[in-house]
Amino acid sequence: MYQSQSTTLPITNVIGYRSFLTHPLTCLQQMDDIDAMFSDLLGEMDLLTQSLGVETLPPEPPSSSSKEMNFSMGFADMNVESLNELEENDLDALMADLMADLNDTEEKLAVDLEGQKEAEAPPPDLPPAPHGLSFYPVPSLSTPTSPEKGPNTFSAPLADSPAPILSPPTLPQHAKPSMEEIEAQMKADKIKLALEKLKEAKVKKLVVKVVMHDGSSKTLMVDERQTVRDILDNLFEKTHCDCNVDWSLSETNPELQLERGFEDHENLVDPLSAWTRDSENKVIFQERPDKYEIFKNPQNFYLWKKDKKTIKDMKDRDKELLVEENFCGTSIIVPDLEGVLYLREDGKKSWKQRLFLLRASGIYYVPKGKSKTSRDLVCFVQFDNVNVYYGKEFKNKYKAPTDFCFVLKHPQIQKESQYIKYLCCDDAWTMNLWVTGIRIAKYGKSLYENYKTSMKKAAVTTAWTNRITTTTSIPSTPSPTPKAKASGQANGHAPQPPAEPMAKVGNAPPPPPPPPLLPTQILPPPPSDPVLPPPPPPLAVKRIPSATSVPRQLPSLPTLPTSFPPSLTYMANLPPPPPSLSQDDSSESPPDFLPPPPPALGFGPGAGSLPSPPPVSFLPPPPPDPGFPLPPPPPDPAFCPATNRGSLPAPPPRQSNIGAGAPPPPPPPPPASAGLQSTPSVRKTGPPPPKRTTPPLAAPSGGDFMSELAKAMAKKRGNQ
Amino acid sequence: MAAWDLSVAVEDLGADAPPITVSVTSDLHIGGVILKLVEKSQVKRDWSDHALWWEQKQQWLLRTAWTLEKCGIQADAGLIFMPQHKPLRLGLPNGLNLRLRVCFSGPVFRTVLGICKMLNIRRPEELSLLRPVEEKKKKKDKDLSEELYDLTEVPLTSVSRPCLYNGMPAHFADSPKTEKVYKMLSVSQPAPPPEAIAKLYRPASVVDKAHIHSRWLDSSRSLMQQGVQENDRLWLRFKYYCFHDLEPKYDAVRLTQMYEQARWAVLLEDIDCTEEEMLLFGALQYHINKLSLSEPQTMTSSPAMDDLDSALQCLEVKLDGADSSPQDMLENLTAPELNDYLKIFRPKRLTLKGYKQYWFKFKDASISYYKSREESLGEPIQQINLKGCEAAPDVNIVGQKFCIKLLIPAPEGMNEVYLRCENEEQYSRWMAACRLASKGKSLADSSFQSEVQSIRSFLAMQQTNPNTHNTHTDDSTSINTHSLVSPRYSKKYKAKQLTPRILEAYQNVAQLSLTDALLRFLQIWQALPDFGISFVVVRFKGSRKDEVLGIAPNRLIRIDLGVGEVVKTWRYNNMRQWNVNWDIRQVAIEFDGNVNIAFSCVTADCKIVHEFIGGYIFMSTRSREQSNTLNEELFHKLTGGHEAL
Repeated sequence: MYQSQSTTLPITNVIGYRSFLTHPLTCLQQMDDIDAMFSDLLGEMDLLTQSLGVETLPPEPPSSSSKEMNFSMGFADMNVESLNELEENDLDALMADLMADLNDTEEKLAVDLEGQKEAEAPPPDLPPAPHGLSFYPVPSLSTPTSPEKGPNTFSAPLADSPAPILSPPTLPQHAKPSMEEIEAQMKADKIKLALEKLKEAKVKKLVVKVVMHDGSSKTLMVDERQTVRDILDNLFEKTHCDCNVDWSLSETNPELQLERGFEDHENLVDPLSAWTRDSENKVIFQERPDKYEIFKNPQNFYLWKKDKKTIKDMKDRDKELLVEENFCGTSIIVPDLEGVLYLREDGKKSWKQRLFLLRASGIYYVPKGKSKTSRDLVCFVQFDNVNVYYGKEFKNKYKAPTDFCFVLKHPQIQKESQYIKYLCCDDAWTMNLWVTGIRIAKYGKSLYENYKTSMKKAAVTTAWTNRITTTTSIPSTPSPTPKAKASGQANGHAPQPPAEPMAKVGNAPPPPPPPPLLPTQILPPPPSDPVLPPPPPPLAVKRIPSATSVPRQLPSLPTLPTSFPPSLTYMANLPPPPPSLSQDDSSESPPDFLPPPPPALGFGPGAGSLPSPPPVSFLPPPPPDPGFPLPPPPPDPAFCPATNRGSLPAPPPRQSNIGAGAPPPPPPPPPASAGLQSTPSVRKTGPPPPKRTTPPLAAPSGGDFMSELAKAMAKKRGNQ
Repeated sequence: MAAWDLSVAVEDLGADAPPITVSVTSDLHIGGVILKLVEKSQVKRDWSDHALWWEQKQQWLLRTAWTLEKCGIQADAGLIFMPQHKPLRLGLPNGLNLRLRVCFSGPVFRTVLGICKMLNIRRPEELSLLRPVEEKKKKKDKDLSEELYDLTEVPLTSVSRPCLYNGMPAHFADSPKTEKVYKMLSVSQPAPPPEAIAKLYRPASVVDKAHIHSRWLDSSRSLMQQGVQENDRLWLRFKYYCFHDLEPKYDAVRLTQMYEQARWAVLLEDIDCTEEEMLLFGALQYHINKLSLSEPQTMTSSPAMDDLDSALQCLEVKLDGADSSPQDMLENLTAPELNDYLKIFRPKRLTLKGYKQYWFKFKDASISYYKSREESLGEPIQQINLKGCEAAPDVNIVGQKFCIKLLIPAPEGMNEVYLRCENEEQYSRWMAACRLASKGKSLADSSFQSEVQSIRSFLAMQQTNPNTHNTHTDDSTSINTHSLVSPRYSKKYKAKQLTPRILEAYQNVAQLSLTDALLRFLQIWQALPDFGISFVVVRFKGSRKDEVLGIAPNRLIRIDLGVGEVVKTWRYNNMRQWNVNWDIRQVAIEFDGNVNIAFSCVTADCKIVHEFIGGYIFMSTRSREQSNTLNEELFHKLTGGHEAL
């Protein structure tokens, strides 16, 4: 019977909670709990490892609060096979993701704690009782019914970290508030923290393999709160593409030959959850000019009836007005489309012509012998439950009159079904008109909001790329990882010569010595995995440089919520960017998907106007794996002072790229861990963000933490 | 200078009283005349609102410094000394009739400003006054007994922004009577019976609609000048369909009246919509009705409350509560569930299996079923996730059939599943759960109870014989669904067919707050293709037949009367200039690219067309400038025509 229990706690309704739950606050007070925490973390890591390799996890006992196991329809693991394909770089990336999460939390806790500490003497009773252990079942996968789902979802090991031990330096003192205020504040903080924990614990996460436009792929961890926009931003960081507004994530369905660009405000996890287990669907990161065409050339859609010339000669101001008129009013205006389209008859193979009309409330058609007046229209489909997809090569597949087809279907339908509606247009232009019109009707204002956000992002990034004179002529270059699948790169991008990094490392002043063992140990050792073929020896060798990057970043992580702010501060050091040239570069480069054409070479020297092109060849290698959400490994600290900073990253790699025919590397990111050395100079220039104070202290201990973790893992593995 | 006698009728003395004669000279100014007049009348009262009206010339003598000579007044002038503010019967968009004192001497634009200030409607430039449609032969059944709310006693406030008192402007808070009026202004009215709707005038064609627009008063001239007399009836309506800066917090009356105008436009088929849209409008009306009756004064409730904050508060309460243990918290976190024996039926090809009974459990967003209650701890026979599904009622109350038709998406297509419940109670709960689940919400969602309630009330509406069951249903729920749709659909469908369909549409809007529902209604209205078009029958230069000119907020459209289709569209953005030749009453417009059109107006005066075009251009200037002050001068410049010069 129904039990009415109203709880206002933000319970996310996930079909199955597969996230690991951790003990949130307990560790804060009992520093010695760190061992327990470690073992938890280890458990998670282990699971992770296992799930990567073997598909069958030892079924965990369902945890008491785990929301139940309902998998009959919902969650399908589309990524099982792709997970098997995961290469180390993916694992690295994943690990980095995980660690980033971890460190974020760590930092957050540290800061919170700090605040509290300041407010009163170290309170022994800090964590509120309710958040005790009993509340949080032992971390478990809790998916007894479908163990094979494990691979899809990892939780972020949000382990509570040794932050308290570190006791980061005191933050700027607050003015002493009154006692009540302090108490109130503390309470609020605690509650907030608890709530965050609660939320976090129930978040569904997916490991998603994103196919780049050149056929390579990146693996990301996506949680259900992330919008497509977030993921795009993430990918921007990883790929160092030009971030223009056309970049989008799309899903393809090879079985139905469908494709659809996700809207930026959508959650990615939702639609992906609808994929079937054996799905060959893919998530693709690519530029889609149709994504925001409506805002660039609104007249094509709103004035489609006008003659071509008027449309073409539209002034920018008029375009703006048109957008304003249709998107900024109290209501969104949907372009009034009407026209004869072909409709695929249910079950039959024929296509029948009908006069269709688009209205905000749906697509209608005019029944035979009736007029076009509203009351006679028959509703063909409403948009609440369907998405619009482009159909590919339907002429072949369904004997469509043309290849310009679009499809309306419920996102969960993945196979042929009578519930899919197929429509066919005379030409691409008409198809685009309809698909865009339907998107406007379905998403309304969000579309415009998305566009504005994208524009902002693009503007910031352009400014930013100009500053650092990133001359990525190939926007979405696959991460030029040294260990990239050697010849597997599509589109003629030669892989980075494996020797290069080594050579460069040799050239460059020695980086801060990382514990080289550590990363390899964190990664699931492939040899132990019966499913994965043992990695070829060279790979193992190559892993080292990339792996080193892990520890190098980690220590400094707490400082860097994203890799962005620090880079900025770093950049602040630089002399003003050479605007014109670099702008030219970056604005011209995006269209070139292929390796930069020869003329670009001309630009390279052109960049010679920038100071000091000579040191070019000695520059550090492109970061081994920009796939990290973390700042890629820094260029060698020595390098920064050595070269004229203005010239810093840009021209050199470019030249070498052109020479090597290799994809241009992402701009060498700021020296993250080198921050240790270079921070002082950074500090001079710009007021450091408040959080910067923590790193130096947190950093080493973070390293400790990691190495201890590594040791522990090694030990554990040894026991097994 | 020679003195001569000027006789002036003083309205306040009564129609039969002889005019007062004062001795004046030609260089006496109007103010002097008034002074003499007042002295001679020997009536002690406040004459400050009074002014002289020149009957023959149909004009006010408002410039008191002008001399009689300058005004051209001689002894034969028939002057009337009367108050500038007089009572007027005003029909509002929601059908309410008010009697209030309005300005008869200023331009109508100014009069409307005054009315809107009094009624607390912001952005008064979007409204105007028009003469009502004459009601022929209605006198019989309606012997002038229409309700009239008198606001003439309300003092005219001179404050620019009326201060709020008890959530209403201070001048309404004076007496319970006026408070009641304000409530009627700011809360939407219950739906009228369908018979009443059917009786009201409905424009049958574009030409009919065009005739309505011939009734607008001229904004640049006064009411007196346009022959409006004291206590005449006028309508106040939104005239320009671009609603600027709609802010529910301040716009209670404006929003409500806008909604009412939209609703009546839909109900009276003034604007065409499809069946699906009509049903959604119906559902929204039902929802709005219900909410306005249940929560009258909560226009300011913000649905987008910071959820963290509220959650925090709630959690805080729990933490404060005595010995709240982790277990309690845990219990609160686990979602509630429904458990019942229900019957399930899955229609499949070639099988005629009937309903089979199982033990059903509803938890989170999915249904699982078991052979029996005892086995409910084990593995379910099947579990169905309802997220993204469609849940439709399949109910026949007379036949006591309470089925839920579920269309559940699966990779292979949609699965059809029927759940049969025993009774209304059970059905309401399970249906509500299915609805919430289809939107991805669990039973723990706060809207569950209200969803159950609304399903119950809809069931009650379907009962052919309301006396047998549930006589306790309150008035709010016993709305006739026929009064939610236009007569066309009332005729087309029986209540039995209509109600489930409205209910179906209703599930998409049931969670909206009152304000959101109002806004949603307006949005759907504004998204209709024909929204905001005012029609005028015109004859284009060089054309021999009448055509219709549609004036929309952003464009002009030319409609062929024969075909009924849009022939041509011109956008204001491309407009270079427009001119009116007042002598031959022709409007000429020039667009970019040497496009020139000219037409004479058939149904409406060309001043009305001119004012529409100028008005819309004025409205578009206003969106860009952020200041809240109304540029009255610009409005008159754009709409005034030769009067403005």
